[in-house]
Amino acid sequence: MGGASMMNQTRARRQSAIRIFAQEYSDANLPLEGVGEYDPSFIITKLGAKVNRAIFGGVIDRFERREGDNGPNYNGHLRDATGGIHRFQIAQFQPELHADAEELLARFESGDRYLMMMIGRARWFESDDGGIFTSFRAEEFCIVERPVYVNWLVETSEATLRRLAAYSASLGSDNNSEALKSAGVPLDLIEGMILAKGHYSDFDPESYKVGVLQGLSMALNSNSEIDNMISPSGNDIEKDNSLNTFSSPESENKSDVPKSEPKGDVEDVILNAVRNSSSPDGIPYDSIVLSCVEAGFSRELSEDAIEDLRDIKCQIIEPRFGFFQILD
Amino acid sequence: MSDDDKYATQVALVKEECKDADVGEITEEFRRYENEFLIPPNDALRSVIRKFQAASGQEMTTISPTQTRIEKKVDRFSDLGSDDKNVTIEVAVVTYVPRVQMVRGEEKQIAFGWIEDNPWESNDKRERWDFKDWGAHSENLAPNSVVRLEGVSVNEWNDKRSININRGSRVTVLREGGPAVPTLSDEPVTIEKASENEGYVNLLARIISLKPDIIVKKDGSGSLDIFRGTFADSSGKISFLSWVPINHEVGDLVKVEGAMIRKFRETPEVNINDRTKIEKYHDNNFASIEELSKATTSKIGDLRNGMKDIITTVQVESWQSRSFTNSEGEEKIVRSGDVMDPTGRCRLTAWCDMNPKPGDFLHLTGARVQFWQGSPDLVVDNIDQISNLTDAPWEAIDPEQHWVEIELSDLVNSGSRRGIKTRGTIVAVRPDSGIIERCPECRRILRDSNCLDHGAQHGVEDLRLKFVIDNGIHNASLILAKEPSEEFLGMSQEMVKEKISQRGKEDFVSEVRGKSLARKVVINGRSLVDEQGAMILAEDVNFDSVSNEDTANIVVKEWGVLL
Repeated sequence: MGGASMMNQTRARRQSAIRIFAQEYSDANLPLEGVGEYDPSFIITKLGAKVNRAIFGGVIDRFERREGDNGPNYNGHLRDATGGIHRFQIAQFQPELHADAEELLARFESGDRYLMMMIGRARWFESDDGGIFTSFRAEEFCIVERPVYVNWLVETSEATLRRLAAYSASLGSDNNSEALKSAGVPLDLIEGMILAKGHYSDFDPESYKVGVLQGLSMALNSNSEIDNMISPSGNDIEKDNSLNTFSSPESENKSDVPKSEPKGDVEDVILNAVRNSSSPDGIPYDSIVLSCVEAGFSRELSEDAIEDLRDIKCQIIEPRFGFFQILD
Repeated sequence: MSDDDKYATQVALVKEECKDADVGEITEEFRRYENEFLIPPNDALRSVIRKFQAASGQEMTTISPTQTRIEKKVDRFSDLGSDDKNVTIEVAVVTYVPRVQMVRGEEKQIAFGWIEDNPWESNDKRERWDFKDWGAHSENLAPNSVVRLEGVSVNEWNDKRSININRGSRVTVLREGGPAVPTLSDEPVTIEKASENEGYVNLLARIISLKPDIIVKKDGSGSLDIFRGTFADSSGKISFLSWVPINHEVGDLVKVEGAMIRKFRETPEVNINDRTKIEKYHDNNFASIEELSKATTSKIGDLRNGMKDIITTVQVESWQSRSFTNSEGEEKIVRSGDVMDPTGRCRLTAWCDMNPKPGDFLHLTGARVQFWQGSPDLVVDNIDQISNLTDAPWEAIDPEQHWVEIELSDLVNSGSRRGIKTRGTIVAVRPDSGIIERCPECRRILRDSNCLDHGAQHGVEDLRLKFVIDNGIHNASLILAKEPSEEFLGMSQEMVKEKISQRGKEDFVSEVRGKSLARKVVINGRSLVDEQGAMILAEDVNFDSVSNEDTANIVVKEWGVLL
């Protein structure tokens, strides 16, 4: 009897935290928005993970405070073993996290780098041209010792292997739940797998193995790589701190890779983008950044220029958090 | 392409329904629909079928003039919104189960069952929904028929959508349901499988108990004669309740067609009504009643609220008795204690004179399960249900060390259990962890020094920690009372209080977070599982001592990773 549907009369339960590497999450561009008021929303990855909540970790790579009308908010990056970054925000409506955020910010600004673990909820932003930018809104976080981070690497490696196995099991199967179930795709991955296969074109899943191998090697071998990651004199950090270098930390996100030499002045690009935006609410932050990146400027340079135009030159305003207009 | 080829698929479908119709005429009809009425052949199919059915004198439903309400016509359930009304959709009827229900004090015949959209496609392209028939459309909703529903509405309850077929709804039969019910649901299923879901089933099982019973109507309007009993097969057993007399005996092997599985508390039960067919069945290889009674003994780990007729063996851990005066002024004694088996532990309550010693092994028959503080506990009513075993069925269990290891996912998907050990990663530290105030009367937590039942109170301070643990697939709340909290923190309640008064509660929670977030823990305790999710009340919590290297090696081995 196929009567499973008769029993699903439960309220939405808490979503479990998906163990996911930065590379898989930042490659994803398929949001699944909940229909009802309390329905959870998800980011569906290429391997079929349905991410509403995730647990992730890495070395703090970027951390900054932005002052809004109703209080500060924070943006940051954690870089994990795949080399990718987990972008996170702490919103102004999360004052309970601000004290801890300030403490971490002070350490970061003093040049300290540390491993962090974070639980976050998936969020995304869609640019005017349809690009999807994924990130997390932090729920809880803390600084951790290396073994805690390595434990996450191992768990995330296993979770990624499980999704890779499910993905390869799905290859010879029809894209419906019965077929995927009999092909051996675990129940919790079936819905995401169906959506992923209907959305993403073919890709090479091997690239996701790199993170797995790195994660497992770190647990099994010496931990020198992690030491490198958290040492402030590490090469990557240096690059990242120099504003005009098109540095590797961002390169996993293709939209951030400058396509050519910068054209013109970054401020002109920003002002043009804001001026030409058709939206009455203003142009979203990430759209401006995208325009700059496409014009050949680095994300860091663009972000600083936006702040400069807003806070110092006062040519643009941010009437609503994340949305910009020209100040006439 | 000639018209003959172009319409071949549709023509074949029409021929299936109207065997005497002429192929040339059918083709011509489709051509006419397409060229003259601009209706493509697929959309014209039903009209053409109806035309030839009418021509051949087959019975068909007359269609009354369309009403002026705005109708929503859809092909798939997925196109429907949660409050759509006056919907038109074509569906296949899978099941139709009539039942009498009290509606506003009136006894009404209603029916429910399953329908599937996309009825002209194969089964795997269909979506299945529940429906309720409030309008006595039973004649037109025979299982295996394809019908057009008009004027039906979508009902949403607990995030689940279903179709209401109302009094004013119209049901048009597009394809008669035959006696040939889809093989999928015609085949009897095992009791184990039948117990998984509520709904309509066929069973092949032996009656292992049967007795008449009476249900007294709550409104005092009289009583109903019913029958209760138990079916068993090699996969398990299940209680049944019959609203009609059972003309079979204990020990009979029977084939049951068209029974309903419904849940009583947490336990599935077979409902038999006048639509259910029960006939004797012959199969010499089917397990005997002796084998089945043996095979259906339960372990503590499998107990669920509402279970009856349980046969089980337990080891006594402790035993007490207490007396009380009941509402009729009688002095009564109730005895109870903690008992264990290799799958877990629970409480046993006895309403009879028995006084076992710790370490005794008891064999129980006909025991039932009741919930006490969220855990399923065994109850026996008569001394003849209990025998004290002289031979130990297992090597004596040490109660101090008896924690049954269970995966977090299994724990979340099973019933409430005592004496379990599980592990997970802490993914949340609740901000209400720390010092709380309890009502001195009922121990309930005070809100602003007020108890919900006892009003303003001078609270009694207590310490607790609340977490969420998670394994990436399932999660559970984790609650630590005072002693396990003190041990976990390495701080006494006084020290916690001191700390909070000096640096604030948020600072304390932040410190707990820094110590525990993202760490894997091993928990001994008991679980409470209901439709809201799972909660673990911990007796002790420790950080997992398995090294990352060992875990990584297991992963490498299990997934065949080449490093």
